[in-house]
Amino acid sequence: MPLNIDWQQILLHLLNFVVLFAILYFLLYKPVKAFMEKRTEQYRQMDEEAKKKVSESERLKEEYRQKLDAAEDEITAERKKARAEIEAATAARMERAEAEAQKVLSDARRDIEHERNKMLHEAQNEITGMVESAAEKLVAQSTTSEAFDQFLDAAKRGSVNE
Amino acid sequence: MNKKKRTAAIVIFAVLAVALFVGTLISGTADKSETIREVMKDAVLHGQNRVSLFGLPVNPGLISAMTVTGIFLIFSLIVRILVIPRFKMVPGKFQLLLETAVGFFDNLAKTNSPHRNRFLGAYVFTAGSYIFVGTLFELFGLEAVTTDGITISLPAPLSDINGAIMLGCLSYLVILSGGILSNKLRGVGRTLKEFSLPISMSFRMFGALLSGALVTELVYYSVYLSYGLPILVGVLFTLLHALIQAYVLTMLTSLFYGEVSEPVHKH
Repeated sequence: MPLNIDWQQILLHLLNFVVLFAILYFLLYKPVKAFMEKRTEQYRQMDEEAKKKVSESERLKEEYRQKLDAAEDEITAERKKARAEIEAATAARMERAEAEAQKVLSDARRDIEHERNKMLHEAQNEITGMVESAAEKLVAQSTTSEAFDQFLDAAKRGSVNE
Repeated sequence: MNKKKRTAAIVIFAVLAVALFVGTLISGTADKSETIREVMKDAVLHGQNRVSLFGLPVNPGLISAMTVTGIFLIFSLIVRILVIPRFKMVPGKFQLLLETAVGFFDNLAKTNSPHRNRFLGAYVFTAGSYIFVGTLFELFGLEAVTTDGITISLPAPLSDINGAIMLGCLSYLVILSGGILSNKLRGVGRTLKEFSLPISMSFRMFGALLSGALVTELVYYSVYLSYGLPILVGVLFTLLHALIQAYVLTMLTSLFYGEVSEPVHKH
């Protein structure tokens, strides 16, 4: 054969290469690749877990934000409600106080009127009594006609005063 | 090391280097048993220097190939038993080296052949490692005795044309298998379209590795050039074409494998 090409030696080279392939594949390539794939898988899982945790924390953050917003709205509503209640209570109290004041005032007016009437009545009675006693005294001292005239004057004065 | 000691070491090294150089010039060359023509012809054809493999005379390249496989077997066993069970999630330097090598060929297969790459990754890893280590193997200068009783240094396995043809044709068969598995007869057609591929891959590799071997042979043949120059020629050239050839073959195989195994889209 040209260039010393020898089929037998080619086959021996091939046999040698096949043996080498088996050695390198089973002892080196496969275990190293398996380790690299295992590590890649592990890192992929770690990455996935980290992403999951990040998304979970994002979700929780959003949830808390919504809760905070809701709580803030609730607080505002409660505050508004409380303010309205306070205002209503204040108004009711003011109204009651005013009514009480009116009542006290009207009672006082009524009492004053009553006292006044009572005092006038007593004064009238006293005056009448005084007039009667004065008339009696006059009757005892003067004539009947003079006493009668005095009596009439005293009675006129009493009605004018009244 | 202080300045005085360093200066003394440099002076001693320079004196030794000059002495050795003068020695080589004075001693001259011994009578060569082979002319440069014979040496180079033998490097190409391996017609004379045969090594006995269990009584069968074979090219020294085949012995190199088997030695490389042996080295790989010992290395892989040690790594499998002692290193891989102690792999850490954060890799150390050696673990990183192994992972980079495996990851590089795995990615090469995945990038060039996204549809079918499981076997391809393992194949290009083996082929790449074989070419790289096999090419660097010639640097170690392991010796073998020929059937004529001459001691020779073992060449790179792929500087033997039979080794190069084997790898080129096997790569073609791997590409063909990818085509058949993915696209049945259409895959065969796609692969056969590149009929020149096994020849071009085989002879490219053979030529590249042989040229390295020839340049090294040439340099070593002349005693005057064998002083200092082999450091550049031997180490740098060998290292470079070990890397380049490993990359070229694996990249081409992955590329064609990906092309023929790509599923046909029916419109």
